[in-house]
Amino acid sequence: MALEIDGIVLRNRRIKSLYYVLEIYCPPVATTIQPGQFIMLKISGSYDPFLRRPFSVYKSYSASHREKKKRGRLLILYKKVGKGTQRMTEFMKGQQVNIIGPLGKGFSLPPLPSSANIILVGGGVGIVSLYPLAAALKLGKLFVLIGGRTMDDILCEEDFRKLNSTVFVATEDGSLGFKGTVLDLFLSQQKTFKANPSRYLYACGPAEMLNELAKTVKFKEFTCQVSLEARMGCGFGACWGCVVKTIDPKVPYQRVCKEGPVFNLMDIAWE
Amino acid sequence: MTVKSIRNPDLSVKIGNIKLENPVIVASGTFGFGEEYEDFLNLNHLGAIIPKGISLKPMVGNPPPRIFETEGGILNSIGLQNPGFEDFFNHKLPYFENIKTHLIINFFGNTQKEYIKLARCFNEVPGISGLEMNISCPNVERGGMAFCSEPKIVYRLVHAVRKSTKLTLIVKLSPNVTDIASIAKSAEEGGADAVSLINTFKAMAINVHSKKPELGNVIGGLSGPAIKPIALRMVWEVSQVVKIPVIGMGGIMKAEDAIEFILVGASAVQIGTANLINPRTGIEVIQGIRRYLVQNKIQRIQKLIGLFKN
Repeated sequence: MALEIDGIVLRNRRIKSLYYVLEIYCPPVATTIQPGQFIMLKISGSYDPFLRRPFSVYKSYSASHREKKKRGRLLILYKKVGKGTQRMTEFMKGQQVNIIGPLGKGFSLPPLPSSANIILVGGGVGIVSLYPLAAALKLGKLFVLIGGRTMDDILCEEDFRKLNSTVFVATEDGSLGFKGTVLDLFLSQQKTFKANPSRYLYACGPAEMLNELAKTVKFKEFTCQVSLEARMGCGFGACWGCVVKTIDPKVPYQRVCKEGPVFNLMDIAWE
Repeated sequence: MTVKSIRNPDLSVKIGNIKLENPVIVASGTFGFGEEYEDFLNLNHLGAIIPKGISLKPMVGNPPPRIFETEGGILNSIGLQNPGFEDFFNHKLPYFENIKTHLIINFFGNTQKEYIKLARCFNEVPGISGLEMNISCPNVERGGMAFCSEPKIVYRLVHAVRKSTKLTLIVKLSPNVTDIASIAKSAEEGGADAVSLINTFKAMAINVHSKKPELGNVIGGLSGPAIKPIALRMVWEVSQVVKIPVIGMGGIMKAEDAIEFILVGASAVQIGTANLINPRTGIEVIQGIRRYLVQNKIQRIQKLIGLFKN
């Protein structure tokens, strides 16, 4: 069930270049949100910016989390790109923020027991929504591919390393790790991934990246889920503003906020 | 002499044969099929619910992007995506069986025949309190010119639909016309029980970096508080020329906005875009109107309707 609820800002800090982490105390949402789900955050009490903004969750700690200090916290990792996120950088400790969530259909975890290869591919800030998934995985061999334009755009590397995973980094300018896109990196490692007959691929990133991924990946070889981004009106399925074109002949345009944001890669009608 | 204090003002209004408990209706296209809002509010507390507009056959809608935020508003080009009458009847309508609130169906067609057929179909469906005709769509038989743009065509269309249904008939007017008052008058003469206004303003936005439109459909409709003063003026103009009830809408975000519409002659109001940002807007507007009546010692909302006279 989605809630419309106030949370309290505990912390809002810049972690590197244009990237910030916002920490909100909101136990009901932090407790129930699932990997891949998102929240709609109200940015301003005035009409500017007018609409809420959708954010996937970076970390969440349930009200009964073993570390008392972390209980009920919801972390959002965001990039300052426009009017909305610019305003967010001004959020102060103790301030109330209104949230709607948890929203949307999250990731389906691989069936258990599994010794599968689980490969996460994230471009830019897209990697953030894959972290809760990685943290929720119980079994399998985890590979994480993080891509960005420069080393300043490489996020969550330490977080993933702590999860006992194999982390690869790609930067387009070669300032860190593999030189090239995260997809080039994926292709260069495909053999390793395919060594295991059971393999699950999860991806999140800009539309162009996912579009390229769809062209690259043979659907038979990987079970692949992608988390999509879209401009949203409401976030809870009412306005049909955030649709994506799918291969469904009856209802080609489906809602990213309701039927998604996580889709099977092969269900989307890629260009 | 002091006026007796008021605890429970009467918020009820009448639109055609529909007696609304309160004058707050949620607008078509912004409230899904009702169930999307059940987590956030008690739907039974609303005056009426108008689900997403229904056509005879399913419509796939426009290509994305379909939504774009502007200053104090949004542009949308959803393209009237809907499952069509049959699927609506089988899969969406049953949800409303357990909801007491009046259900008003918004519908539209590409031809006069389609309007008539749909009006007849809905006439047979139990549980529906009224119909709201969207006349802003292109008339396929007349080269795609919108039905709403000519008084004569509006009269003919409304008259034909009127004869096809016993349900309360509301005609939803477009602001994209030369003289909205004369269109409203034609709808009244055609037999409408009420008019609702306004639909969105045709509008567009260009991205200067890509040098392309922000909407996949190029042109969309503008809604939100940015359009409220124009909507209010139109509701005022229409209220002066028709005798049937007027339902006002356009950028209502809070109770004060709704009261403005009521003061210039609206018997009821619709909440649209605001639902997307604050799903509880409808409820908050009802509470705000009640508070206003108590503070102003007005026993019945009907006393407020059209109180402003020039």
